[in-house]
Amino acid sequence: MAHHDDQDLLPTPGQRVGTFLKRKDVSQTFVLGIFFTAVFVVLGLWVYPHWMPNVMSKEMQGNEDIMIWFTVISAPIAGVVLAIAMESFINMHRGDTPPPEDGPGIKTHGPVVVIWSAVSVLFTIVAIVWGITEMNTWSSDALAGSNNALVVDVTGSQWNWSFNYPAQGITSHELNLPINQPVEFRVISADVNHSFWPVQLGVKVDANRLSTTIARTTPDKLGVFDVKCAELCGLNHAYMETAGHVESVADFNNWVSQAKATGGTQQ
Amino acid sequence: MTTLSHKPASARPIPNPERSLITRLNMGTGTVVGILFAVITYYLLRHHFGSPWRVNHGMDMTNTHFVNVTILCTMFAWSFGFLVGIGALIGPFRWLIGKDLTAEEQLYLAGDGQGIKRYFKYCTDHKVVGIQYLVGVMVMLGVGGTMAMMIRTNLATPGSHFIAPIIYNSLVGLHGITMIIAMIIVSTGPFGNYIMPIMIGAADMAFPRLNALSWWVLFTAIPVLCSAWFLGGIPTGWTAYAPLSDQAGPGMNAFLATIIIFALSTAVAGMNITTTVVAMRAKGMKWNRVPIFVVGATISVALAIPAFPTFMVAMIQTGLDRTISTGFYDANVGGSGWLYANLFWIMGHPEVYVILIPGVAALMEIAPVFVRKPLFSYGAAIAGFAGIAGLSVLVWAHHMYMSGWMPNLNGPFMITTEFISVPTGLLFLVLVGTLWRGKPWMKMPMLSVYAFIWDFLIGGITGIYLSDVPADNYLHGSMFVTAHFHYTLMGAALTGAIGALAFWFPKMTGRMLNDRGSYISFWLIQIGFNVLFLGMFMAGAAGQPRRVADYAQAFAHANLISTIGAYSVGLGMIVLLWAIIHSWRSGVIAPMNPWGSKTLEWTVPYPVPLVNFDEPPVVTSDPYNYGRSAK
Repeated sequence: MAHHDDQDLLPTPGQRVGTFLKRKDVSQTFVLGIFFTAVFVVLGLWVYPHWMPNVMSKEMQGNEDIMIWFTVISAPIAGVVLAIAMESFINMHRGDTPPPEDGPGIKTHGPVVVIWSAVSVLFTIVAIVWGITEMNTWSSDALAGSNNALVVDVTGSQWNWSFNYPAQGITSHELNLPINQPVEFRVISADVNHSFWPVQLGVKVDANRLSTTIARTTPDKLGVFDVKCAELCGLNHAYMETAGHVESVADFNNWVSQAKATGGTQQ
Repeated sequence: MTTLSHKPASARPIPNPERSLITRLNMGTGTVVGILFAVITYYLLRHHFGSPWRVNHGMDMTNTHFVNVTILCTMFAWSFGFLVGIGALIGPFRWLIGKDLTAEEQLYLAGDGQGIKRYFKYCTDHKVVGIQYLVGVMVMLGVGGTMAMMIRTNLATPGSHFIAPIIYNSLVGLHGITMIIAMIIVSTGPFGNYIMPIMIGAADMAFPRLNALSWWVLFTAIPVLCSAWFLGGIPTGWTAYAPLSDQAGPGMNAFLATIIIFALSTAVAGMNITTTVVAMRAKGMKWNRVPIFVVGATISVALAIPAFPTFMVAMIQTGLDRTISTGFYDANVGGSGWLYANLFWIMGHPEVYVILIPGVAALMEIAPVFVRKPLFSYGAAIAGFAGIAGLSVLVWAHHMYMSGWMPNLNGPFMITTEFISVPTGLLFLVLVGTLWRGKPWMKMPMLSVYAFIWDFLIGGITGIYLSDVPADNYLHGSMFVTAHFHYTLMGAALTGAIGALAFWFPKMTGRMLNDRGSYISFWLIQIGFNVLFLGMFMAGAAGQPRRVADYAQAFAHANLISTIGAYSVGLGMIVLLWAIIHSWRSGVIAPMNPWGSKTLEWTVPYPVPLVNFDEPPVVTSDPYNYGRSAK
């Protein structure tokens, strides 16, 4: 097409967008894009609540929400990428010789690059703001609860966990927590690095030799949770796990007094 | 298009080996001298420092760590002895007496006309080094993959029935480090050495002897790493965190020595590739005409140059802790494990992009050829690579969000990490922009582009959760992380390298890669891969820690799914290996330019002449001027 013909019949931007949208490949890509976006939205909404274990704290709910909503937010971007890829895949040329003619010689397209970059910057900012807001919520919750927090000294050693309740004066290999009371885990290691992971409570922190690290949460559902080690710590790393319990305040106090009666140390 | 200026081809001097020492050295003499050095060192040190079999033999040593001195020195002696024995140091020795290799000797080292023997020698021809890397990488991937199959077999059902935890832990560590080393060199080794100098119109690399050195230094690390099996294994995973690494048995020394040797190799290779691209491009190949694979490979090795020395330092300090109890990482004497973690990840995060970038760049080289369209937005591709490389040195502590090191820095590190999505997004834009309105010629290299888009998309999206501090509270140290980085390293970077192999196979072997074999392997690998790591995402999201030999019944389904997928990948890899070997030996003879590509490497015949081009090429346009109405 000669260049001056374009000049004579130059369409308005509105007409150009209209023609663009009427093209068959564009409408096909559009449909594919909706389809892939929907797939990712459904995956995000369905998969994580089904895969992830019971939610037993606000922190755990926060984690699950991030995984769900980050998937949903990124769904349109994934949709666009996969739609364009699929549209070209459908139009493939097969055979042992190269395609008879070249495709359109599009070297770049300024507005597309700018819009694409702007969208990804925007998406990144949303993710950052979400993350920082969540971190701030955790910190302010922890600060608000710090006065009446139950302190548990957690010691990781090859290959078990032990829990010391300094205020109650008991030591145990069992982790029992009262419901709805903020808890502060002060974590340390007796030997190599471990990582203290009360799974359903949604927090985690490494256990280091001679340096105390802190994790805070407030269990808000009764039930059993898993305590695992999330840092390779040698031979029996896989078996360095135990069960924890979130109990009613009465049950917890009961357990504390029983433990004290047996000398303050319970296996 | 490229035009060739007409100059008379210079007459080559005839090689004149003269039965001098240099003609008698090869891999065999290297091995003999290496073993000799190792044995002498071992017997010299054994009585002072003990041996792994007779600890502290006859000496009053209260510190059992001294045995590590014997082991480490023996390993380094092997490496040095091998290099002496293969003749790598003849040049430097000559410099000591004020001489250098003669022109005849240099030509002899280039190996022209020496047939298959030159692949077992200290050969300075970049094409020979490329093939050495290719075969070496395939062996490493095979070994690492076999270990992966053993890991998945053990995890198929709960109960760890197949292997004992102590062996399992070693397998995890050895699989990890073998694959990491293989993946770092998988694209830049074979294609960066064989293809890249031809792509830029150079006669060879800038420093041919260093090029051979980089391969043979790396080669000496392989037996060292293998020796870990006989010394009690690597029980720390590939991250080798202290103080677990201080506690580990003698096998840990193999890890240290391997990394130190490997870091030397990458430094040498990185300098060589960077210098070659900066200084030896053909006339007319301005920076905006450099093929994107060359840009990617250069950015990748340039990123490795500052990254790997920190790993080397981290390992030297681990070695000092283990031998003379310096206590860099030992909190009991005032050291800190966090120091190790920082040094490790300052290398560790750039390193994943060192792996990723050349793979993506190879696919960007492939896409325009098969879609018959220009590469969409060459500038965005370079901005993407440069942006990733630049940001990647500022994100290391996202591996340490949960370490307790500096909780106050989690926010800043989260910001830098999340921003990597922006340059990464540009890479997607370049690829889908190239596909847009195209009718791709669906051969094996092009299929890899599609597989990459899917795999890297999943790897990227899951990376967004992991970079978020609160979500990492849950995901850190879980199988979810393992699945995520396999999507990026294997799904993206290895897929890219396999695509690159299919693409450049005709130029490297003179034959076409078998279509049927490569298609069957492609689908077995890709479907298997997605099943495998879908299962692993499930297990991780459900709360299964990584690097565990055994797991609770609750994760049984997810793990079984994973293992089924893994077997499919394994089968696919065997088919691919068969296709490669079969095609290399007896495939269809390839024409000079089977894909109709416009880059320079397709203007030379197979076998590629020693100096690549009879006449130095002159470049007059960018290599992607495909397309209707392209100017």
